Amino acid sequence: MTFRLTCPVCGARDVYEFRYGGQERGPRPEQAQLSSDEHFRWTQFRMTRPEPQEEWWYHTGGCGVWFTTWRNPATNREEPPHEVERG
Amino acid sequence: MKRLSPSVSSIDHSHTKFGRLWKTRPLKRHYDVVIIGGGIHGLATAYYLAKEHSIKDIAVLESQYIGFGGSGRNTAHVRANQRTQQNVKLYDEGLRLWPILTDELDFNLMFFNCGNLSLAHSEAAVSGFRLAINTATFSGVKSELLDPQQCKEVIPALDISDRPAHPIQAGMYHPPGGTIRHDALVWGLAKGADKHGASIHQGVEVQGIDVDGPRVTGVQTSHGPISCNKLAVMAGGYGASICTMLDIELPIHPLTIQAMVTQPLKPLLNCVLSSGAYHVYANQTLKGEIATGAHMDPQVNYTTDVTAHYFKHQAEALTDFMPCLEGVRFLRIWAGLADMTPDMAPILDGNVMFDGLYIDLGWGYFGFKSGPITGKYMAEFIAREEAPEILAPFALSRFLENRYMGETATTMKYGHWD
Ligand SMILES: Cc1cc2nc3c(=O)[nH]c(=O)nc-3n(C[C@H](O)[C@H](O)[C@H](O)COP(=O)(O)OP(=O)(O)OC[C@H]3O[C@@H](n4cnc5c(N)ncnc54)[C@H](O)[C@@H]3O)c2cc1C
Ligand SMILES: [Zn+2]
Repeated sequence: MTFRLTCPVCGARDVYEFRYGGQERGPRPEQAQLSSDEHFRWTQFRMTRPEPQEEWWYHTGGCGVWFTTWRNPATNREEPPHEVERG
Repeated sequence: MKRLSPSVSSIDHSHTKFGRLWKTRPLKRHYDVVIIGGGIHGLATAYYLAKEHSIKDIAVLESQYIGFGGSGRNTAHVRANQRTQQNVKLYDEGLRLWPILTDELDFNLMFFNCGNLSLAHSEAAVSGFRLAINTATFSGVKSELLDPQQCKEVIPALDISDRPAHPIQAGMYHPPGGTIRHDALVWGLAKGADKHGASIHQGVEVQGIDVDGPRVTGVQTSHGPISCNKLAVMAGGYGASICTMLDIELPIHPLTIQAMVTQPLKPLLNCVLSSGAYHVYANQTLKGEIATGAHMDPQVNYTTDVTAHYFKHQAEALTDFMPCLEGVRFLRIWAGLADMTPDMAPILDGNVMFDGLYIDLGWGYFGFKSGPITGKYMAEFIAREEAPEILAPFALSRFLENRYMGETATTMKYGHWD
């Protein structure tokens, strides 16, 4: 049941050609004034919801490009973002 | 995914000779303690709460059937040769519990005390073994370093020559370990929890968590709202997803880990074998199959997807250092979740994010062996509302204070976060 990911250069390829780079979480926080609590939260804490998330992937076994795509951890497949309202 | 209807288990078999091991009680609207997850951690906690703390008003809510999660999918290897003293202490007490539990639950857990042999294929791995062996020895746990010839005496099928890609340089031999029948443990704990008054509800999925200010007050389920005084998230790899219902971030990566079995063979592997360099752990089941677990898929996910990739990997790895397995066929493959933390130790905590909320998560691919002993102490934590000393080092706050537990310094590490 291997799934495929869409590389912007090579197209849909077997997931084992890629390296997972983690969630896209916006710019890294400024080091200055960062408390140790905030630092460890940024480096280690994650929220993995069972719904599509934007992620970084690297095409190691192909063109060598880093790119982002939306994938759903509940299904493992690429899927566009859901419209969610969280209050 | 299809869910079991709760009525499936309400057929009355009590009049038959082989009655059901546990009853299905009506689902109430309120419990003193609600436990999310009918794996060994949830069931053991319910068992000990009811048996040792006289808290009987407990519901274990299980979205599928008991043992659906890691508890029914693991390779059931048990050992107490971890890297740090805090971990060894907990796992060692867990290992001593098997004969006691078999007796207490009046259920054959099929503890097979065959010992564990871990292989080192590099100088660094040998040093890792020395550290772990010293920790074990200091803690009174039997664990010793073997040279390649001694490894071959334990498992004659090993190729200890220079031919394999990673020649064997040493072994860490741990006689107290072995395997257990994992389903038996799930069923036995369910039987025990039920006997002491806890209720188990299969096919009831938690879909939301209710809070009132700083307190959790109950859950929304597929069968309506249920209120509670205390809520324990013991949902294995799914626990991280349940915590997102409360917008709780955790240092947890939920990953899938695959395992498979070969056709049955005559006895050739008489202890549990593992190799960090080859990303392989294996044992021969009582039926004769070689059961073997693989590396984890690297991307976070909550699926139980299996892939041909790992058939190939396991076949290449196993036959490289046990060439007699060449040509043997794999029969089945399956997968479960491994919720990995940065220090490869679990998170056991309570009353930190919300009052009344307890978590027992982050057990990765090593939380089977520790299930009953952790349940025993989590029950004490929940009953007394204070962490027992043995669990205190596993608090979530360690990640914010840079006090990681150091389990990654063992050679049993497999992931990219280590
Ligand atoms: C392939 C594999 C091999 C392994 N090998 C070993 C090994 O050799 N030794 C070892 O010590 N450990 C091993 N492990 C790890 C071990 O299996 C787990 O750490 C352990 O089983 C976790 O038990 P648990 O009770 O915490 O969770 P689980 O057994 O995962 O139980 C959690 C339960 O929660 C339920 N649930 C999920 N979401 C909800 C919801 N919303 N509402 C209600 N219920 C819900 C699930 O259906 C599940 O039954 C392995 C794991 C895998 C997958
Ligand atoms: Zn590419």
